[in-house]
Amino acid sequence: MQMFLTLLVNGLIIGGIYGLIALGYSLIYRASGLMSFVQGDMVTVGAYLGITFYVVLNLPILVSLILTFACSFLLGMILEKGVIRNLLKKNVMPIYVVLSTIAISYIIQNTAQAFYGSTAQTFPQVFSKPTLTIFGITAQTEAYVCLLLSVVMMVVLHFFMTKTRFGTAMRSSAMDPLAAESCGINTSLSTGITWGLAASIAALAGMMLGPMYGVYTTLGSTIGRKGFAGAVVGGYGNMYGAMVGGMILGLAETFVSGYVDATYRNQLAYIILILFLFIKPTGIFNEKAIQDV
Amino acid sequence: MNNSILKKKVPLGILIAVLLIAVPFLIQLVFGTEYGVMIACIILIYTIAVSGLDLLFGYSGQISMGHAAFFVIGAYTSGLLNNYFNIPLWLTIPAGALLSCGLGALLAWPASKLKFHFLSLATIAFGEIVYYFLYVSPGGFTGDYLGISVVTIPFLGGSYTRWYFFLLFFTVIALVLKHFLVHSRTGRAFQAIRENTHAANGMGVNVRKNKIIAFAVSAFYTGFAGAVYVHLLRYIAPSTGQQKQSVLFLTMLLFGGTASMVGPIIGVVIIEILLELIRPLQEYQMLLYGILLLIVIVALPGGIYGGIKDLIVSIKRKKAAKQLTKK
Repeated sequence: MQMFLTLLVNGLIIGGIYGLIALGYSLIYRASGLMSFVQGDMVTVGAYLGITFYVVLNLPILVSLILTFACSFLLGMILEKGVIRNLLKKNVMPIYVVLSTIAISYIIQNTAQAFYGSTAQTFPQVFSKPTLTIFGITAQTEAYVCLLLSVVMMVVLHFFMTKTRFGTAMRSSAMDPLAAESCGINTSLSTGITWGLAASIAALAGMMLGPMYGVYTTLGSTIGRKGFAGAVVGGYGNMYGAMVGGMILGLAETFVSGYVDATYRNQLAYIILILFLFIKPTGIFNEKAIQDV
Repeated sequence: MNNSILKKKVPLGILIAVLLIAVPFLIQLVFGTEYGVMIACIILIYTIAVSGLDLLFGYSGQISMGHAAFFVIGAYTSGLLNNYFNIPLWLTIPAGALLSCGLGALLAWPASKLKFHFLSLATIAFGEIVYYFLYVSPGGFTGDYLGISVVTIPFLGGSYTRWYFFLLFFTVIALVLKHFLVHSRTGRAFQAIRENTHAANGMGVNVRKNKIIAFAVSAFYTGFAGAVYVHLLRYIAPSTGQQKQSVLFLTMLLFGGTASMVGPIIGVVIIEILLELIRPLQEYQMLLYGILLLIVIVALPGGIYGGIKDLIVSIKRKKAAKQLTKK
């Protein structure tokens, strides 16, 4: 029973991280109908930015959190304005947009390696109390904060997208850019902000991962893939779906590696992804984003 | 084909043939080593693989971001069959291509109903599953992360020049077959599906069936390329099946130009030579590659072949305009 509970909590924690990354994918898809592969590397960027602000510059944790958020937000927006918008203006095949995000992810991975070296760095403990015991389950304090933060993020984003003026503008510019433009919505600005938001969420996830996993250049690319698997499982483009999908993946992974065999844990996410794509491509939340031909 | 075109094309064809035959000797003359000939061999192999991808993406409009999986499936099948059961290579290489073809069809069967983005996700997932399977296989029969060593094709020995002609033969066959396929009923069905799936369906094209055929043929090409690749290098590791390799194939195709005979060849030659040139940069290799990729995508979205085509059209137009003004 103890093992079950420990696995459950660990699964929820890693699931929360996957969910956060999945949120970014869903957000971008919802707001611009595009798929970005930079999302995973934003996790790496966030982790390294966190190290830079918190360890190298020795700033307080809250300040470094805000700075990381701001920097990655800017980075995401620059990406959209500098590369993606340019490509969309030229009316190229969608594959070029996908490939350009892959190119950017290569650049980010390599730049990080050039700046910080290829050895893994440790992110120091943030809280004075290293572990926390809730319901008899002991885990790192950061892990619990992580879980809490992912749930809060999901709810806030959902309300932001559905209840605020700005969220509505974002959704409408995704649905029909021309109509949104003619209603006086600045579609260019709103898609830019969406990309920025997605990037900064991923960066936050990266900063939280730091103390638990250590920071290295390929940190994001593996976790990023699992994030998009989570997004598909939940229903691509759905905020709650992203979270639930991420949680399912996290739980499946920890339980399989806990009870069955840890060697196949990396494959599991892809197997679940491919099964969902083939059997129920609309995901658990039945998001109608995926049309069958 | 009418006679005047034939007259124009025959000398050009002879010139190209002579050049192709001279390539290994020229390389050895200039560099004095066989390494360059090996690069030429790899270019030929990649040409087959990328032509296969072109049939899938360029002609029938279906994306695959996991094509490296078919490449390594072909490679490992041929290598392992020979290593464990001592089956002669002239049987294992087709076996590798056929297994890859079968798995391609199997993947396409459910995947053919997915839209662009989700097809790319499904193919990425397929690629990663294959990669991890080779990386930690049950009982370690694939040699896990260490990869496997295999034998070379006996009558080619260690001579890359002989390999070059062997591969040239198969590349030409592959391209000729591609030409016939593209201009056949099936090829026209592929293009109809690419242009408008619903219209194709309405015209009586069996969309599902043709999509599966496209996937299978494409996987056969790439699997065959992988199967000969492994015997050329005599070694393969799972890392060849990583997504990076799939992206490389796609880059070569898009850089050269899709849906053409020459496009994949141009793309493979230029990208492979560029990669060889930036190899000494070691750790900054990927950085440069990423930047190059980005520049190419933003600056040249039609590929080189498409760019040249546009250029010729615009020159012709200018000429015609000049003639008009003269009159």
